[in-house]
Amino acid sequence: MTTGAPAATLTGAVDAGLAGRLTAIVGERRVLFRAGELLAYSSDGLPGYFKRPSVAVFPGTGDEVIAVVRELARSRVSFVPRGAGTGLSGGALADGVVLLGLNRLTRILSVDTENRLAVVEPGVVNVALSRAVSAHGLLYAPDPSSQAACTIGGNVAENAGGPHCLKYGVTLNHIVALKVVLPNGDVVTLGDAVGESVGFDLLGAFVGSEGCFGVAIEITVRLIRVPQAIRTLLADFSSIDAAARAVSAIVASGILPAALEMMDAGTIRAVEASIYAAGYPTDAAAVLLVELDGPDAGLDADVATVVRLSREAGARTVRVASDEAERAKLWQGRKKAFGAMGRISPHLVVQDAVVPRTKLPQMLARIHEIAERYRVTVCNVFHAGDGNLHPNIGYDANNPDEAARVHAAMREIMRACIDAGGTISGEHGIGIDKLPYMDALFSDESLRAMCSLRDVFDPDRRANPGKVVPVHSCREWHMAPAARNSGV
Amino acid sequence: MTATSTPSSSPTSAIEVRDRVRDALSQSHPLRVVGGGTWLDANRPVQADATLVMRDVSGIVEYEPGDLTLTARAGTTLDEIARVTAAHGQWLTLDPYGDSTRATVGATIATASYGPLAHHFGTPRDIVLGVEFVTGVGDLVRGGGRVVKNVAGFDLTRLITGSWGSLGVITEVTVRLRALAAIQATLAIDVPGSVEETERVRSELNRLPFVPLAAELVDSTLAKGLCRDGRGATLLVRLGGNAEAVRTQREQLRTVGEVRELESDVWRRLCSSEPPRAAVVRLSRLPSHFAETWCEAQGIVERWAGGYCHGDPGRGVVRVVLPTGESTRDDALYAVLGTSGKTTRVYERLPAALWRALAPGVMRNRIDGEVKATFDPQHVLNPGILGEPQ
Repeated sequence: MTTGAPAATLTGAVDAGLAGRLTAIVGERRVLFRAGELLAYSSDGLPGYFKRPSVAVFPGTGDEVIAVVRELARSRVSFVPRGAGTGLSGGALADGVVLLGLNRLTRILSVDTENRLAVVEPGVVNVALSRAVSAHGLLYAPDPSSQAACTIGGNVAENAGGPHCLKYGVTLNHIVALKVVLPNGDVVTLGDAVGESVGFDLLGAFVGSEGCFGVAIEITVRLIRVPQAIRTLLADFSSIDAAARAVSAIVASGILPAALEMMDAGTIRAVEASIYAAGYPTDAAAVLLVELDGPDAGLDADVATVVRLSREAGARTVRVASDEAERAKLWQGRKKAFGAMGRISPHLVVQDAVVPRTKLPQMLARIHEIAERYRVTVCNVFHAGDGNLHPNIGYDANNPDEAARVHAAMREIMRACIDAGGTISGEHGIGIDKLPYMDALFSDESLRAMCSLRDVFDPDRRANPGKVVPVHSCREWHMAPAARNSGV
Repeated sequence: MTATSTPSSSPTSAIEVRDRVRDALSQSHPLRVVGGGTWLDANRPVQADATLVMRDVSGIVEYEPGDLTLTARAGTTLDEIARVTAAHGQWLTLDPYGDSTRATVGATIATASYGPLAHHFGTPRDIVLGVEFVTGVGDLVRGGGRVVKNVAGFDLTRLITGSWGSLGVITEVTVRLRALAAIQATLAIDVPGSVEETERVRSELNRLPFVPLAAELVDSTLAKGLCRDGRGATLLVRLGGNAEAVRTQREQLRTVGEVRELESDVWRRLCSSEPPRAAVVRLSRLPSHFAETWCEAQGIVERWAGGYCHGDPGRGVVRVVLPTGESTRDDALYAVLGTSGKTTRVYERLPAALWRALAPGVMRNRIDGEVKATFDPQHVLNPGILGEPQ
């Protein structure tokens, strides 16, 4: 086999022989190293960042992944695992290191309908799994807005959420077992697909580790039954405050909606001006999209309660989708909201932060105040039931003044969320985008503990280097913990 | 303070806990971490010179009902949390077996203990949002947070949950609460003893269009103690929802079997009925094999005077309880438990001498050992509890 990998085309510290050795594992067409070929893999869902990998390699089977990771370990080369590259925190950016693409591993290996389990490869697209099991009346619950493109492997790495996580939980709650290639090439099984798991919850630690702990090559997920009935409601309000009050009232009522989403005026107008127009009232200050699901019995009583609570909170109108088509249309507006806003400006920065639910009204007011001060337009479309905000700002990244104001406003918004007792990411991950806020959220000791945990999985720190925990927090990593404390 | 003869300290704050751990490090004396003492004989014997009692690191730190979250210090009892949250129509859906007047939330999380409500709400790992703990290197560390959705940083919360105090001493936890259902009902269904009938009940339960709050099969011994008219094995089902939902659920349950009403305190009695001394083991396999797992459990129970079992068909787990006493002979117990089966066995409580023979340890790979070595390199926290080499 000819490798065709002249040293001159390789960047950084990656030696020419590596591309050849990777080619020997996966085949010539599956190793990219020319600048032009790497262009598509030089960004992910986080706008404004461009980082070129040295080599991109695309194994086609679990065994090839193992062989590639072992080769990278032997060569002591760093790598970044990547699913569909839809992540919004820059977690899949590979800066001069090897990009390990997993999107060819798309097999659903088994489905156990009686126990509601499926075993999938990491490259299976989120929605493809739900489609594949729908004939059995089953679905895979976590539904990030990018579910038509994002992969289950990427969802595991990011502990992805989605609108329906309010009722059904995030990715963590749906993963039963993982077959993982550790960065050193060892293969381990975390969790237990058959019986109860004992010992440390390494499965729990792995989910959401953003590619820093290794590569999942077989994922056992829990499926749920397609609910017997679904009701989707749209309530519109003349003030954000009133909408936030309705959220609190619904949550406090004991009804657990499948989803409880809020969109503000800017979002509504962007959606209605786009091909995703969902019929949201364009003069509303906010709309709530509420979905209730479950057994038929008693569902309409819950719908009546939600309608009443929304009206009491000040809703002008409350509409219940009358059929599947109307329901799909109402949801399309929500799921494509970022796409609709992307139409308006050349660039869109989407934030992800969580505040306690009761702090939503004050936080939305604060965001509005910050936006005015920096003369930027913030639109809010978010998982109100979880307190998971997604403020986003459209702008032109080529206008340095505007870009600076946008980033300053976002920084202030994130600080405000932390001050309100919240967190800096509910579902998008830290990646590189949120690194600057980790110090504000966690103490040095906590960050060190996280670094130490990463060191257990990846002592060489070659898997997704420089992500999640700020490097300066990890300076003391290599000093044995006992030595650090010997002076105490 | 405690029944142990070892020196005991009862810190009242996280900082004091940290200082006690640092003292333990500098003096190289290992600590036995104790909450309310509910599960003191659970898991492997700990070789420790001193006891760190967490009972006084207690109290609710933050409870905003509208957030449906609660932050409490580790020594807060489950009963206190239940009292405070019930006043706002909410509850913490953790009901581990044991005395809830003593059981602390910290120990519940540390031991990943759960009860019948796990059928609907999952186990502690699904309910804990954040933890504060003191590592075995004497650092006071936080993982997670106080909000219901959080992916910031590596998940120290899941790591600590169920680590039996061997990686860190939990000082504070934040948990997700649920609103209490408008209506609850508890029903009983007789389940004749055959494998076929047990499988039929499991399968019908699995096909119901709703998931009950709890569905626990109790064997005839336990049923006699719990229900007035308990005859044979009985499926206890806990329903919740609005009036119409519960009415319909009750109707639909008839596909499983003939239904009779029970007092709701049966759940509390089930959890607190545990004998003070017992060997306890959980058998698990895929739910579709539940009937066989139940049979395997029956095979153990039948060979032990006073033994009983109960299990969750939806989770595929059966819990076997064998009462023990001063005169219990280890070899007799070993003869009953040492038989192999097709299930995964997780031992909760055993006489000290039997651990080595039945469940020597849970360290399965390099990662397990290195996690312990990283978070507790000097083995000062509950050494031996996971069967780790020392």
